[in-house]
Amino acid sequence: MPSQVFSVTDVKRLLAEGAQLVDVLGEDEFEHDHLPGAINIPLKRLDASTTAGLDRNRPVLVYCNDFG
Amino acid sequence: MIDYVPGKVAWFEENEPREGKAVDETWIGDVADAEVPTCGLTEKIGDIRGRTAGWDTCVVVNPERVVLGLLRKKELEGDATATAQQVMRPGPKTFRPNVTLEELLKSMRDHDIQTNSLVTNAEGKLLGVISRADAEATLAHDNAAAAAS
Repeated sequence: MPSQVFSVTDVKRLLAEGAQLVDVLGEDEFEHDHLPGAINIPLKRLDASTTAGLDRNRPVLVYCNDFG
Repeated sequence: MIDYVPGKVAWFEENEPREGKAVDETWIGDVADAEVPTCGLTEKIGDIRGRTAGWDTCVVVNPERVVLGLLRKKELEGDATATAQQVMRPGPKTFRPNVTLEELLKSMRDHDIQTNSLVTNAEGKLLGVISRADAEATLAHDNAAAAAS
C-alpha cells in the first residue's frame, strides 16, 4: 500500500477498494466543500479519541487543501 | 494512512464532484460546454471552418486535449489555406472548473471579455467553454431562483 497518492484515479481506486476518506481541514471549510463521502477530523483534533470511529482494517486516505 | 498529496483543490480542479454547502454554488465546471469545436495545430482553416458552424470559437489542442491556442471568428473567417498554428492566438487565458460563476463574471467584466472563456484542469486539458452571455444568463437565473426560495 503506498503512503502517498497523487492522482484522482488513485483516489477513486482506493475508495472503490474500501478506503476511508478523512478531511483534516477545519470544520467551516469542510462544511463549505469536501470530497464526496469524506468525514472531517480537523488536524488540530487528530488523536486517538477522534479517530476511534475509523475501521482499523481498512485503509485511511487523508487530504488537506493542497500541496502546501 | 495514505496521503492524497495534491489535496482538495486538485480534486476540484479535475471537475470532480463535491459535497457541502458549495453544491448550492454554480461552479463554471458545472456549466461549461464541453462540445466546443477543437482542432490540431496542422489543420487548415478551411477544413476547420467546415465543422465550426454556429461557433465563433475553435480551441487548438494537442492529442491529450491540452489547450495550445484559440481561433476566434476573425481567424476562422480568414485564409483557408493557413494552418491553425500559423494564425491561432497562443496561450489563451483559462479558468479552473472550481471558479464560481460570480468570480468568472467579475473577471470578464473587469477585463471586458465578451467572448468565450476556456475552462481547463490543472494540466491545461480543455473541459469546455462558457460564453459571457451564458454566464450572465445562468447567474441571473440562479439569483432569481434563490430570491424566490
